[in-house]
Amino acid sequence: MNSRRNFIRTAGATILGAGIVSKVGAASVPEAPMQTVATTQPPLIPPNGRPYNPVVTLNGWTLPWRMNNGWKEFHLIAEPVVREMAEGMNAHLWGYNGQSPGPTIECVEGDKVRIFVTNKLKEHTTTHWHGIILPAGMDGVGGLSQPQIPPGKTFVYEFEMKKSGTFMYHPHADEMVQMAMGMYGSLVVHPKNPNHHRVDRDFIFIMTAYDIDPGSYTPRINTMTDFNMWTWNSRVFPGIDPFVINQGDRARIRFGNLTMTNHPIHMHGYDFEVTCTDGGWVPKAARWPEVTVDCAVGQMRAFEFDAIYPGDWAIHCHKSHHTMNAMGHSVPTSINVETKDVVEKITKLVPDYMAMGQDGMADMAVMSMPLPDNTLPMMTGQGPFGPVEMGGMFSVVKVHEGIKRGDFKDPGWYKHPKGTVASEWNGPVPDPVKAPKGGKA
Amino acid sequence: MITNKKQPSTKLRLLAGITLVALLGGCATFSPDGGFNSVESVAKEHLGKEVKWVKTDEDRQKVYAQVTAILAKPLTADDAVQVALLNNAGLQATYSNLGIAEADLVQAGRLHNPGFSFQRLEKANVFEYERKFIFDVFGLLTMPTRTALEQRRFDQTKRRVTGEVMRIAADTRRAYLDAVAAQQTARYMDDVRDAAEASAQLADRMAKVGNWSKLDQARQQVFYVEVMSQVARSHQAARSEREKLTRLMGLWGAGAQFTLSERLPDLPAAPREINNLEQTAMSQRMDVQMAKQEVEGLAKSLGLTKATRFINVLDVSYLNKSTAGEPNQTGYEVELQIPIFDWGDAKVAKAEAMYMQAVNRVAEIAVNARSQTRGAYSAYRTAYDISRHYRDDLVPLRKRISEENLLRYNGMLIGTFELLADAREQVLSVNAYISTLREFWLADTNLKMALLGAGTDSGMSTSGDTAMPGESSGGH
Repeated sequence: MNSRRNFIRTAGATILGAGIVSKVGAASVPEAPMQTVATTQPPLIPPNGRPYNPVVTLNGWTLPWRMNNGWKEFHLIAEPVVREMAEGMNAHLWGYNGQSPGPTIECVEGDKVRIFVTNKLKEHTTTHWHGIILPAGMDGVGGLSQPQIPPGKTFVYEFEMKKSGTFMYHPHADEMVQMAMGMYGSLVVHPKNPNHHRVDRDFIFIMTAYDIDPGSYTPRINTMTDFNMWTWNSRVFPGIDPFVINQGDRARIRFGNLTMTNHPIHMHGYDFEVTCTDGGWVPKAARWPEVTVDCAVGQMRAFEFDAIYPGDWAIHCHKSHHTMNAMGHSVPTSINVETKDVVEKITKLVPDYMAMGQDGMADMAVMSMPLPDNTLPMMTGQGPFGPVEMGGMFSVVKVHEGIKRGDFKDPGWYKHPKGTVASEWNGPVPDPVKAPKGGKA
Repeated sequence: MITNKKQPSTKLRLLAGITLVALLGGCATFSPDGGFNSVESVAKEHLGKEVKWVKTDEDRQKVYAQVTAILAKPLTADDAVQVALLNNAGLQATYSNLGIAEADLVQAGRLHNPGFSFQRLEKANVFEYERKFIFDVFGLLTMPTRTALEQRRFDQTKRRVTGEVMRIAADTRRAYLDAVAAQQTARYMDDVRDAAEASAQLADRMAKVGNWSKLDQARQQVFYVEVMSQVARSHQAARSEREKLTRLMGLWGAGAQFTLSERLPDLPAAPREINNLEQTAMSQRMDVQMAKQEVEGLAKSLGLTKATRFINVLDVSYLNKSTAGEPNQTGYEVELQIPIFDWGDAKVAKAEAMYMQAVNRVAEIAVNARSQTRGAYSAYRTAYDISRHYRDDLVPLRKRISEENLLRYNGMLIGTFELLADAREQVLSVNAYISTLREFWLADTNLKMALLGAGTDSGMSTSGDTAMPGESSGGH
């Protein structure tokens, strides 16, 4: 797959010191770090405060904080951003601190957090802390629990993290538009005891959907069902980084759903248990094995597994249109339609016309025909054995031997032991069994 | 010329006078070109074309050879005009008007033949002989006037014939543009039909393999059938426009098998700018010139009427009256009306009224001509701008839409049917451009004709038979 998926490990990728809005507030508001790249950043080892095992945000990053008299202070800036959804496609979105999704906020059960939210949009906003138990006035519902944050203003949220778990944040002011424009981020509260629910690899992403007409850049915010960009952290295959896991690690994958439909997330090669929801940790006795877990709209789920089976394992939403990029949902089916002679007639009028689809649509992943600006092929990607024919919510869990702790770099393709790859049968083929004559087929 | 014939010597002098008159009359003979030179030179100057008055078999052969040579290759608009000017029989018929008018002119330049009458009367065995030598002296006197009048008519006929040449040229050019545009449109409609046919074929197969319902299939079929009738109509239009052109070029048989050029001429890089548009029209337009000439002529005849208000039909007769047994009486007779009852003022008033009428008609024609010229230029500019707009904006935009649609097809964002529907749209926009181009060239032709005052709605039709302008001149 592509080299852009390699982690950018340089500290310089996180730029500190971007805009503070008011000079009055300058003395008291912490700096707001910005992010300029869409690749997965390495976990942020907590430099101060309570210790915890950090998560890795898929194609994202964690927001640094500052400690201030026992308060953990974060600064989010709501603003327009340009998000690369995959190489060759940029979306004009709204997000936080330079990207959509906004940075993951990580803290620890019992932390007193103070989150500054500066609004650099042209309309008011708020931030809702989805799943967090907090004072009603900190819940971030514009008009109901607080006045909206006007453009140019900074509001501050203060609350104590009473429980650990997997959460998210998103606007609750003009939220239909603001979420359709990509405003959201993950929020992880780690257990006070780092050994509770401890895993070696902890990934998180949130699912969102956009309707970006090929050739355009801004999502159509009024679309309700017919989206064409099914994203994990505002990325689509082949732009979604792999989940890199050392063989034998205990791994957790957390995800939330901010789209308008459910997503059955299916991982190959393993069965796993759902261990956490946005309601909290699932007691051991209540867990059951799964290979697919459905994540309904507005929910969060986390599943865990012991990464004992090496390989490059697909992980994807099981709605097959959700593993496609932009496609025409009303294109008629041409399977089995013989077109050769008609094609001649058509190419007289449309010289670059090529017949497609009479045998299926797999051609699409092979042919590299020119497309409209700023869009991606419906199905694409190259694996070690050929075209992967995917798009949208698709990635690979790479369980390889000998991956160092803290190393999330793409290790390349799995090297299959000899005789463990499906191959063409070269032996004798038995005669097919025929239906008895005169009988009904 | 009125002579008292008392002595033989005066008789001789009279004969000498008659001879002189005959010689003068001899000036009004037929011209070698029959008045055709002016028609030829105008056709050359304003149309850049050759005209030919076919009078002999040799002429006919020449024209045939010329026309055949032109028809051998695909016709341009100029070729078509040239063929029509050489070959249109109606035009040849018009040329004969020149002959007729010239004959009238020559006639006007000749005196009536002198007359001689002999009377023998008997009264109670007395025989009276009266011999009269009649000579149309007044005809002689008025001959310059009459000749001038007929000359004017002859000139007008020349202009009228020239106008007819212009009209045929303009009509042919228009018919040519219509025919080529219709042919081009028909050809593009074939492309539209191909697209519709491909859609219908695909639809059939979609239904056959079970991908489409009969409803969807029928919808594509309906469309195809509709397109087929449009295509048939476009071909019929092409044929009928071509026939119009064939008639104007006077062709039949093998001659009617000519080939038109593939496409209309391109839009010029820039529209024509005409300085002093109206002055140009005033100095060139034939209707204006003709009207002016009429007024000048009427001014002359008004003067004559004023001068001869008391003279009616005035025959001056040479009398030779002899009574038997008496010496011959000779003398002459002049008849003069005595203006007691009719002082001729009514006649003068009528002439004056006719003159003023013509003066106002000239004014009207001039006003109309200016307006028509401005109108024609404005139509020309508008047609140019529209056609350029189609060529530079609309067609490229359509093309871009098609390109983008192909990209969308590549991305499986749209299907073949949408692509084909778009291809049809693109073809139709090219057709629409052809139609604007045709309108531009028509407007161009109309402008040229407006500047010459020929072939437009005012054009030559004001001329009529304008010898007596009171009856027919000036507008419609």
